[in-house]
Amino acid sequence: MSGQELGGRLHPLAVLLIARRFVGMSLLPAAALLLSAGTKVLVPLLVTALLVGVPLAVLSWSRFRYRVAGGRLELHSGVVGRKVRTIPLDRLRGVDLTASFLHRLLGLVRVEVEAAAGGGSRAELSLAAVSQSDAERLREALLGRARGVEEEEPGPRRLYRASPGLLALGGITSMRYLLAPAAIVGFVFNLADDLPGDIAGRAADAAAERAPTDPVLIGLLAAGAILAVVLVAAAGSLLVDWDFTLEDDGERLTASRGLLTRRLVQLDRDRIRGADVRDTPLRRPFGIAAVTAIAPGLRGRTGGTTLAPVTHAAAAAALLRSVDPLAPDPRAPLAPHPPAARTRRLVRTLPLALLSVVAATVAMVPWAIAAAALLTASAVVLALDRYRQLGHGFDGRRLALRGGSLLRRWSELDPGAAVAFELRSSPGQRRAGLCTLTLHLGQGAGSRRALDLGEEQAAELVARLEPRILAPLVASREAGRGPG
Amino acid sequence: MILRAPANAIDPRMRTYWTVQALTATAVLGALVATATTIAAVLGAATAAWAVGLGGGLGFVIVGVSSLVAVRLAYRHFRYEVTEHGLYVARGRFWRRQQIVPHARLQTVDTTAGPLLRAFGLVAVQVSTASAAGGISIPGLRRPVADELVTELARRAELEEGT
Repeated sequence: MSGQELGGRLHPLAVLLIARRFVGMSLLPAAALLLSAGTKVLVPLLVTALLVGVPLAVLSWSRFRYRVAGGRLELHSGVVGRKVRTIPLDRLRGVDLTASFLHRLLGLVRVEVEAAAGGGSRAELSLAAVSQSDAERLREALLGRARGVEEEEPGPRRLYRASPGLLALGGITSMRYLLAPAAIVGFVFNLADDLPGDIAGRAADAAAERAPTDPVLIGLLAAGAILAVVLVAAAGSLLVDWDFTLEDDGERLTASRGLLTRRLVQLDRDRIRGADVRDTPLRRPFGIAAVTAIAPGLRGRTGGTTLAPVTHAAAAAALLRSVDPLAPDPRAPLAPHPPAARTRRLVRTLPLALLSVVAATVAMVPWAIAAAALLTASAVVLALDRYRQLGHGFDGRRLALRGGSLLRRWSELDPGAAVAFELRSSPGQRRAGLCTLTLHLGQGAGSRRALDLGEEQAAELVARLEPRILAPLVASREAGRGPG
Repeated sequence: MILRAPANAIDPRMRTYWTVQALTATAVLGALVATATTIAAVLGAATAAWAVGLGGGLGFVIVGVSSLVAVRLAYRHFRYEVTEHGLYVARGRFWRRQQIVPHARLQTVDTTAGPLLRAFGLVAVQVSTASAAGGISIPGLRRPVADELVTELARRAELEEGT
């Protein structure tokens, strides 16, 4: 404990941000009023809102204070009821600095303090807007305790930096947008329901009237739509991960990213128990993948544990080693799962696909037959690839697992990070001599599983994975051969 | 068989407890079928009454018999054991599931008992870890056995804390 003392309030301009939150809350009702009642009602209403809202924002700003003293962080707030939240500094998990576009215009930063509350649940505190220098000082005071003297010596080491080209390529090949059409359709329909005067209905009619019937035009439109999706995907990736930089100061990794909203996320190195490398069939030809850390206890916020949004395979291996020195190479071959696993993958996908072929044939609709045949063919290709991707390896310290096809994931992790081990087998798996081994990590890090391991493989792996805990449980036939 | 079976069975009274539960559910189904048949008969729809009565009756018998068999199997294949370094639970005849929670990873141990379970003089022991998917529940133990299990788990968890 360095006993640093620090206190203050939010930046005066934070009033604007607080007020904006009030505006945000009343924006929809106000818009509805404007549409239904016109400006006569709206203007007096707006004036009232300003008269009430601005003093309220100022008051709530003036009541908000933070203080770091005696090994604690205190936040005082509340307009009507007073509230004090206290967090011991040794409970802090991390301090994140975020700057939205508005924040950056005003030169402010939002500070989010992540703390482990008792019983494993998490509490989070945030300071809506402080100046850059206050934020830096606050972070030093909150986290500085653990840094000690060496902190001044070497500057942070840069582990990764995203280039715009790679980010754009990553966005295009992420394949996440395959899920997007459904979301967009849902959004549009929701919006259409809320619009007054059946605007949506009239727009749809107009669109239907002008709908193209020419196949060439339809083809062009489809091509245009695909191009638009690709551009949006690239732009989205650039927007979110612009200039993603990962730095290592020996104890903590600091990732900063974002074009308009800039986020700064910190991750304690000794919380890292492994890593995931993800890619898609579109990414594989380019040899690029995304790298995330497995860090139980860190809130599962999107991108919170991202180490590299897109990187080349060789760079990914180097990055993994610098974050987790024991990490195996993701490109290293893994032990394949028995051929019975391939049969099982096929058996599990084919019935539905074949059923669609039968249904289409019975209905005698030519294009449906073609579509069903295509579906069946892609189901087979997918099942075969899902089998080919299955693999595991254990070098005595890190377990490597691979699975999935459209979203392929290779994981390496310390088996000691598991809070529970689970072996499952269905009747079909047992007939084929297979089983599934799952390691539950918990605390937001999820589970990692080895799907359809051969029984012999599973027995050997289980015995070596945790010799103390699991090896004594292995049935005597396997134990007779000696574990590992 | 990859892992050997855990040493202990749960209390035999669990068979009766689960049977009571299964029979209650089956009885509700039977009552529904009987009501539907009566209504159809009163309304004069003889064919519908026959169809509902026969189909429902068959369903009633199938559900009743299979749930009785399922109870026997669930009881016989639910086993648990406190080993030196972990709690080991196995369950299921067809969909087999074996879970191991290392003592060092144990977060809370709860004992709960609903009114029916209490009437049988039994309690359930729930073990939770940091992972929602990694928890274990042992459904029926006699109170002294459960208390002993909880004490044992707490003692071992404390021993493993430093490792």
